[in-house]
Amino acid sequence: MPTRRETLVRLANGFLGTAMGALWADDGKMPGARLAGEPKARSVIYIFLCGGLSHIDTFDPKDNKFAGTMMDAIGFGDNNAPMKRPVIPILRTFKRYGQSGIPVSDWFPHIGQTIDEFAVVRSMHCHQTNHFPAVIEHTTGKSIRQFEHPCFGSWVTYALGTTNKNLPAFVNIGRPSSPVQLSGGYIGVSYSATPFQPGDTPIPNLMPPPGAARVERDRQMEALAALNQKFRADYVFDSEIAARMKAYELAGNMMRTAPSIVDFENEPKSVKDLYGIGVKETDDFGRQLLLARRLAQNGVRFIQLCHAGGGNGAWDAHGDMKTHEPLCRSVDQPIAGLVRDLKQQGMLDNTLVVLTSEFGRTPWSQNTTGRDHNARGFSTLLAGGGVKGGVVEGSTDEVGYKALESPHYISDLQATILRQMGLDHKKMDFHVNGRAFHLIEEGTGPITAIL
Amino acid sequence: MVAALLLALALCGAEKPKLWSLQPVVKPPVPAGYANPIDAFLGVRHKEKGLTPAGPADKLTLLRRLTFDLTGLPPTPAQQDAFLADDSPQAYESLAGRLLADPQHGVRWARHWLDVLRYADLDGLDGSVMPAAPGIYLWRDWMIHALNNDLPYDQFVRAQIVGNRHRALTSMSATGRRGRVEANPEDQFALGFLARAALTRNNRDQDIAIAAVETISSAFLGLTVACAKCHDHRYDPISQKDYYAMKALFDPLVLRKVVLAGPAEIRANGHAMEEYRRQMEPIEAEIETVVASYRDKLYDERVGMLPPAVQAIVRKPARQRSVAEQKIADDYFPVLRIDPPKIKEIMPKDEIARYDELLKKQRGPKRPPELTAHWVVEESPVLLNAKSYVLTSGDPMRPEKDNPVEPGFPLKPADVDFRDGRREGFVDWLTAPENPLFARVAVNRIWQWHFGEPLHRTPSDFGTLGGKPANQPLLDYLAAEFAAHDYSMKWLHNLILTSDAYKRSSRADAKNMEIDPSNTYLWRFRLQRLEAEPLWDSILLSSGDLDFTLGGKSFQTVNADSKQSIFLPRDGTFENRTNRRGAYMARGYIPSTDVMAHFLDSFDVDDGRTPCPLRTSTVTAPQSLFLMNDAMVEKASARLADLALRDASNDLKGAVDAAFRRTIGRAPSPVERDRGLSYVENDAARLKGLAWMLYNLDEFLFVR
Repeated sequence: MPTRRETLVRLANGFLGTAMGALWADDGKMPGARLAGEPKARSVIYIFLCGGLSHIDTFDPKDNKFAGTMMDAIGFGDNNAPMKRPVIPILRTFKRYGQSGIPVSDWFPHIGQTIDEFAVVRSMHCHQTNHFPAVIEHTTGKSIRQFEHPCFGSWVTYALGTTNKNLPAFVNIGRPSSPVQLSGGYIGVSYSATPFQPGDTPIPNLMPPPGAARVERDRQMEALAALNQKFRADYVFDSEIAARMKAYELAGNMMRTAPSIVDFENEPKSVKDLYGIGVKETDDFGRQLLLARRLAQNGVRFIQLCHAGGGNGAWDAHGDMKTHEPLCRSVDQPIAGLVRDLKQQGMLDNTLVVLTSEFGRTPWSQNTTGRDHNARGFSTLLAGGGVKGGVVEGSTDEVGYKALESPHYISDLQATILRQMGLDHKKMDFHVNGRAFHLIEEGTGPITAIL
Repeated sequence: MVAALLLALALCGAEKPKLWSLQPVVKPPVPAGYANPIDAFLGVRHKEKGLTPAGPADKLTLLRRLTFDLTGLPPTPAQQDAFLADDSPQAYESLAGRLLADPQHGVRWARHWLDVLRYADLDGLDGSVMPAAPGIYLWRDWMIHALNNDLPYDQFVRAQIVGNRHRALTSMSATGRRGRVEANPEDQFALGFLARAALTRNNRDQDIAIAAVETISSAFLGLTVACAKCHDHRYDPISQKDYYAMKALFDPLVLRKVVLAGPAEIRANGHAMEEYRRQMEPIEAEIETVVASYRDKLYDERVGMLPPAVQAIVRKPARQRSVAEQKIADDYFPVLRIDPPKIKEIMPKDEIARYDELLKKQRGPKRPPELTAHWVVEESPVLLNAKSYVLTSGDPMRPEKDNPVEPGFPLKPADVDFRDGRREGFVDWLTAPENPLFARVAVNRIWQWHFGEPLHRTPSDFGTLGGKPANQPLLDYLAAEFAAHDYSMKWLHNLILTSDAYKRSSRADAKNMEIDPSNTYLWRFRLQRLEAEPLWDSILLSSGDLDFTLGGKSFQTVNADSKQSIFLPRDGTFENRTNRRGAYMARGYIPSTDVMAHFLDSFDVDDGRTPCPLRTSTVTAPQSLFLMNDAMVEKASARLADLALRDASNDLKGAVDAAFRRTIGRAPSPVERDRGLSYVENDAARLKGLAWMLYNLDEFLFVR
């Protein structure tokens, strides 16, 4: 039987969960959105290629019969005026891989070798035709951000919570195209992504600055606790003070745990080799993906990797498609390595890997050997987490401009991920000032053909 | 049956009780028996609810509370000594007076208002550009001075909407000649409020009118007019038409750049510009002779690829194109643009070398720096004659031509006229004492910033969904008196600060907790976590490192994490002394770079894109990591240890006392002193470790 005082303290601490947000281990805030049964995926590794990967040069082969002809097209960027534009040839060679025989271009030989693990959705589309709006559409599921819509990772962590009290639930690695990709919006700043990176400082302020007395810290923390005693007793009814105690506990846990997550010392060379770590072109992204795997292993729910972000993103190949080549090389082996590694660790079944961009690229060019933005048709790849491998879903038209068979609005990708995480996409609602906001407003729901 | 009844009630609009906040403000009688009317209104509720209000806080707690509240700074040891030494009955009141007169008061309070009015140094969610950014700090600085000078609230609001604090626009001379009254010159900076909203997208400055409607209605009227952008308000008497009528007040506004320089400076800049052009001209002419033939050849080839109808348009001289044809030509511009690499592809080798050399030469002459400027808004005569329409879903490209609107606003009385201008007509109504919302909303905000919580829970929603305030007589009394005291904010501050309610202890007791756990009836003072800016300032001031310079451009900090920190594109245009007050730390939001310091984000500061009526106050691990590990705290710990030792002439016991007093505004208790001394172990070098502990103390981060 709790004393009255204890009951009151508990009452006052009712807000504790809110104060701590997703940084603290919890069971999630949307129990009503849970699907029955054990979820297929525990974590998502969400790889976002900033700027727009050309689907027709990589995972959606087309023949070149239209090359050199003028086609009905639209202007560039925000200019959606109808106009005639010249189709430029696809200079890639495609090879069928694996048992599925799915063709992959010579820019992704490693992914090709693991293609039997991937579902290739070739009929994705969105509304926005320029980077920032499209990135926001992609991450919030809304084509206009009239309100402070949160990003997808925030929704997932808000709904599911986390089991690990030593690490944040939602992590971002790499520079995004837009800060909205990290934003908790109206769900709250505590559901924003925590930036993480390989190296000595994975989280801002994780370790004491050089010169600070590291060895002294434990003693200081002890003395600090003693000095806080009276104040904490005086304010025993104030949930913020209780939350502060927990915040220091979590900070301490993070300080102990996070460095070991970024310390790859004990990873065998064979694993590092899978990711291309130690090879100049692939070292950077390889490390980021190995870090992602280690975070997933430690119960981090949503790990978002932004590749070549900042501004429009380096994948934005207007000038010359050849600028894709080094970018493909830097991600191809690491991504294939991640899938292989997850498999050998026995984690692929409950880790969902997603590879996408905000949009694809057009069959035509501006006047160059590069391609423009294509929101009307592009490809997204998924692997693991209960997704069927070696399947192709949907198609684009014969030049690769518009999604044709089984078109999927980007919300379908979100709905698919939610389904695998054990969440009902129709129940992803959040109330602000009496108004319900829905994460999913368009599309046809989960892409069941690949599940 | 029930549904039918509800429907009938809903249709019968006249039966609906009128919203409390739209009833005229009537000053209620003050309950007897209290010195301060605030305590009288609160006391009635305490008796009703069986609450026993907490006793007064001790002197040093009050000093720290009041100093943070009014200036955003902790009290220095000298201020502590002075206040303790003053045992006259007026000690507290004269302290409040001194702090209200401190120039740093405006810095603290401008920050509150700037949250509500969405101040940002940079903005542009979708890649659009904020033209007013380079001079926007001048609006912030105007506000600091306005608050320091106790500019009456109605004039404070008026100046920001029309750029002139004075109501009279004309005056009559002795001979009967009517002349225009010049605005106070400094009020041009107040227009930064409206100019800040303009974002350039597709070569047009947009968003001024929409941002004006949504910010002004929520900030000064406490109405969620923004809800009526796409449909009539579901709960409050605001129609979609009202929204666009209010928007029509601001539809004619365009941005204007105002150069802030004297004649000599302008002339010198003009000469430098001329010199720059003189140097560039021959270089550009030479480039033209080198590239012309190749560029024209490529251009003709490109044009040749276009459909014949488009070719005809593109080949026409620009002046002969119709508007529609010009649009087509513009649409094809990117297709026809010839960049240097393309030219080089068809250029003979020896000419490439020469071309490269010229391109290098072209980068030689330095463009003279821009003159200091700021941006204001003004009515464009063309737009004043344009009609305004309801926009479908608020989309400027979808005006409903059969749904025109006249300038107006929600709750507009019939007799408002716009003869002196649309904004002027609106602001006369807005700031009139008869407006039931104007003073109520203002006093509620000011109350909130003193007590950490407003009297009416939703400071920007006085509509149906906001519910009723827990103590409307108190709110109405303050509103009526605020208007009666010429909207003097310092008068209101003083009334609040001298109440017993403000001076109460913040400690809770079980009995009151049981009756009113959320302290709705203010039986105690609310324990408050320091906001980001006062925390920043405290760390700097306690370690003797705070630069008090008033105003100036915002500064940016360097994030500890160099890979993920991104800098403003025009580095160096911001004054980057990072030991200035936190109020000057850059905030805002653009897609390509981080504008906000990680510090501001983790301590709950918004980016200024939307009005922030009430900051959330979280307690999180990243905050603890900052206080434990940031280089700023490390540096401050070392400085504080040195200062404390100096304060105490190298006596360790004295130094421990001094360190406590500099950080948490009081000397340590004997137990605390012993703990401090036992940690220091008679070694002055260990004082730095103690200083670090003080920065991580709960009491450092919270105001009691």
